[in-house]
Amino acid sequence: GFLVMATIIKETESIKEAVIHINTIDTNKFSRLLSRILQKLHLRVERSFSQEEEEKLQNALSMEKPVLSLVLETISFILEQAVYHNIKPASLKEQLENVKIDPEKAEAFCQAWTTSGPDVIEKIRQRIFAPKKLEHVGWQMSLELGQSSQAKLKAPHAVLQLGISGDDAEGQENVFVEFSHQELLDFYNKLETIQAQLDSLT
Amino acid sequence: MSSAHVKPLGGAAAGNVSFLAGRIPPAIEIMSKYMKDLDKELFRKILKVVVTAIEGTDCCDALGTIAESCDVPEEKLSSVVAGMHELLRVALRLPPSTLKQEGFREDLRELRISEEYISDFVSVVFGSRREALDIVASQQGPQLPHMDDFTWRVDVAISTSCLGRALQPSILTQIQLSDGTRSHFQVSVPKFQELRYNVALILKEMNDLEKRGVLKIQD
Repeated sequence: GFLVMATIIKETESIKEAVIHINTIDTNKFSRLLSRILQKLHLRVERSFSQEEEEKLQNALSMEKPVLSLVLETISFILEQAVYHNIKPASLKEQLENVKIDPEKAEAFCQAWTTSGPDVIEKIRQRIFAPKKLEHVGWQMSLELGQSSQAKLKAPHAVLQLGISGDDAEGQENVFVEFSHQELLDFYNKLETIQAQLDSLT
Repeated sequence: MSSAHVKPLGGAAAGNVSFLAGRIPPAIEIMSKYMKDLDKELFRKILKVVVTAIEGTDCCDALGTIAESCDVPEEKLSSVVAGMHELLRVALRLPPSTLKQEGFREDLRELRISEEYISDFVSVVFGSRREALDIVASQQGPQLPHMDDFTWRVDVAISTSCLGRALQPSILTQIQLSDGTRSHFQVSVPKFQELRYNVALILKEMNDLEKRGVLKIQD
């Protein structure tokens, strides 16, 4: 059998125009550009480059702002498609040549993808869709010796600090939970049940 | 108030600690005076209400009922209730390893409480209900919220808008705390391992601490 990869980059008008401009870029500069875009691909940001950086790029690549925007968007799109389909470097090269990207540039894409592709895919895979995520686990264990209603205790207590981050720049919210020995044991048993579930997935 | 009593209390046997630590609180002294006037049934009713109050339930109505149904003047009744509450509160504060039953009985005899009433007090402090009373007491100190409920779900993301084939498991968690707040968040598998590891570590530390006879702190 011979697996044929579906076309992941369709030759739309927009792509055609972008390719023309991409092909004008000096290959070395292009490689550096690719690296940089790949680095930030997993972040959920609107634009990979700051205003300032874009202005510098306009100069470096001798491109007007709208052209630069198109080029950057197109490169990002190609890479996102590569991620989505978990494409092999050879297939990527083929797809690029199909939309008439210069062999040199296609090769640069291929190299960058071989080097950084798996890493980017892994980062994106780990990015969870949730408004809140557990980021930090801290704890303190102490021995309670007494309180107003009970004397001569020797009760170990633990406080768990759960640092939970919001999706927007809300910063971290800390949830403090106190446990007696028995309560912590009960909690641990629940965690073990979850672990058993995770184990059954592999 | 009469001159400060430093009345030595405590069992005849050496080593028994007086549960009132040398000084009788006025509430208890007054109570022991009035106790002789109560009949057994009334005493037991009041004791029951006082224990319920210690357990945390509101007892205004119950006390009101008792006040109406008996012919003991209100002031005497209040003193007895206050005294009994104070007596039990102080006794329950000490662990059974410190306050032994015999010593407690001796102390109550010193307070000139009659034998049958002593037995009733003893059954509260040393009886089957003690464990429940201890749990209530432990929850009364200042503390951070405890976990009332912990629910979870293991999800596997099959595919996302960014990744055609993701196959990434994650854990969705909801924690309900004793102060009423609810926290809802997701835990990645590596973070979950970190949490599990840390909890196991704390448990190990607790076990070690409990075994080592705790830094030589004596009762």
